[in-house]
Amino acid sequence: MTDYEAVIGLETHIQLNTLTKIFCACKADSWNAAPNTNICPVCSGLPGVLPVLNEKAVEKAMLLAAAMHAQIQSLSFFDRKNYFYPDLPKGYQISMYEAPLATGGYLDLPLPQNEARRVRIAKLHLEEDAGKTKNAGGKRLIDFNRCGVPLVEMVTSPDLRSAEEAAQYLTRLRQLLRWLGVSEADMEKGHLRCDANVSIRPRGAAYLNPKTEIKNVNSIDAVREAVQKEIERQAREMEAGHTIESWTLEWDEDSGKLKKMRSKETEADYRYFHEPDLLPLHISEEWKKSILTALPELPLERRQRFVTQYGLPEYDADILTAERSLSDYYEQTVKAYGGDPKKVSNWLMNDVLRMLNEKGMTADQLRLLPAHLAEIIRLIDEGVINNATGKSLLEKVQASGETPAAIVAREGLAKVSDDAAIRSICQEVIAENPAEVENYRNGKATLMGWFVGQVMRKMRGKADPNLARAILEELLAQ
Amino acid sequence: MRLTIEEVKHIAHLARLELSEDELQRFTEQLSEILDYAARLQELDTSHILPTSSVLPPRSMLRPDEVLPPLSPEEILRNAAASAQGQFKVPPVLE
Repeated sequence: MTDYEAVIGLETHIQLNTLTKIFCACKADSWNAAPNTNICPVCSGLPGVLPVLNEKAVEKAMLLAAAMHAQIQSLSFFDRKNYFYPDLPKGYQISMYEAPLATGGYLDLPLPQNEARRVRIAKLHLEEDAGKTKNAGGKRLIDFNRCGVPLVEMVTSPDLRSAEEAAQYLTRLRQLLRWLGVSEADMEKGHLRCDANVSIRPRGAAYLNPKTEIKNVNSIDAVREAVQKEIERQAREMEAGHTIESWTLEWDEDSGKLKKMRSKETEADYRYFHEPDLLPLHISEEWKKSILTALPELPLERRQRFVTQYGLPEYDADILTAERSLSDYYEQTVKAYGGDPKKVSNWLMNDVLRMLNEKGMTADQLRLLPAHLAEIIRLIDEGVINNATGKSLLEKVQASGETPAAIVAREGLAKVSDDAAIRSICQEVIAENPAEVENYRNGKATLMGWFVGQVMRKMRGKADPNLARAILEELLAQ
Repeated sequence: MRLTIEEVKHIAHLARLELSEDELQRFTEQLSEILDYAARLQELDTSHILPTSSVLPPRSMLRPDEVLPPLSPEEILRNAAASAQGQFKVPPVLE
């Protein structure tokens, strides 16, 4: 069988998280809202109205463009894309065509062995969303709430080479959108939508074969699965000597199958022309500069810096930079602690992340502040408390907002390393458990853990376990 | 510039207009004349002039991102030819 490689391009629609729609003052987010409750004459296409561009939508699109390393254009235009469909009340969609907001751009996906896949951006522009239609008893019902919601359409060049890379691109894009705060990027809610163009060719070939387009993939897992199935189908077809036809396929989530949609006979004639109701969009250097000063260090850059600056394994750096507030939290803790950055990483990845997951919070919402966490780690380093006490302090600080030192003092949690106190408890345990003592002395060495446990229990966890073990070993050897 | 009947049919279809044979003939004539008239502009050399998209000063008119109350669904749906369950109702669409 020929060795094939996949050639994949992704077309994404990103819903910007502005308060209002792109051309009118209706609320943009209609999640769980009753149909047609966020509409006005502008977005429902009544005659005689004028669209006015939302400043925030432009600014968020500018941030995204800059983060994708695209060139923001000082002059761009909105165009009318004319087509008839009931979800489009005006008979056209306002989009950008000839002079988009930004050109060029790329995202470098990290691959194993320190390599990267550069995914170029072929298209990046602002446009308005259309409404929703659904079938009901032979009729179609239309909800215009989504009409006019601001979208960035972003299309990659066919630079992705596997289903896994396609999934990774979306994961990185979602991470970036949330990092920048420009979109909620929830695929299940349609904030981030994706169509995938897929073709295959013999590995190393430079030409492109006809592609198919996969629509209606609503999660990153679904994109991975649908693209993989389509690559396998195309390979089977080619091996059987068939040619690939340019179908449009629809992903059916329930059956996990691709279904052929009615194929388009001709490319639609959209008769694009400049939107006469909107002025050209001028982006001055000052405006651009003032917006781009808010551009934070990007997730992949920070990930790389965590590896070089703190000596973290890539695995740690990846998890700690998955979300911006977590990565800020990490750095603040490292700074406050001043010790081994890897130790801080372990605390975050094991304990703080579990806490965040359980509570459904982000790191910036915790009452357990970076300074608190740093203090807990220091208290353990200094031998004031033991590890288990440290872990229990996380919840206590989170619940009360008190400092770890205050809680340790009030609850008497400081580790007892007083030799005499521990020694007398050890003697008690030995006196109370003659059977275990005999077994231990007859060679059942694993009982040592049990003895240490008994001592810890009697001392409510405050004993230094290493010291307890040493004393027990000494007493039991007699 | 002569338009063919086929081109006029295509344009009519894009605009969802149904034209009679008579109208097709007539509009083919008229549209061709309009194009001829507009084509006179082609005689001018405009290669050194940037396209004009607006005669207004180069300044973007933007709106702050502040929510205003929407119209009630009842008011909007008053414009609908048919409605059901608070939604516009249209005939089924063939895809």
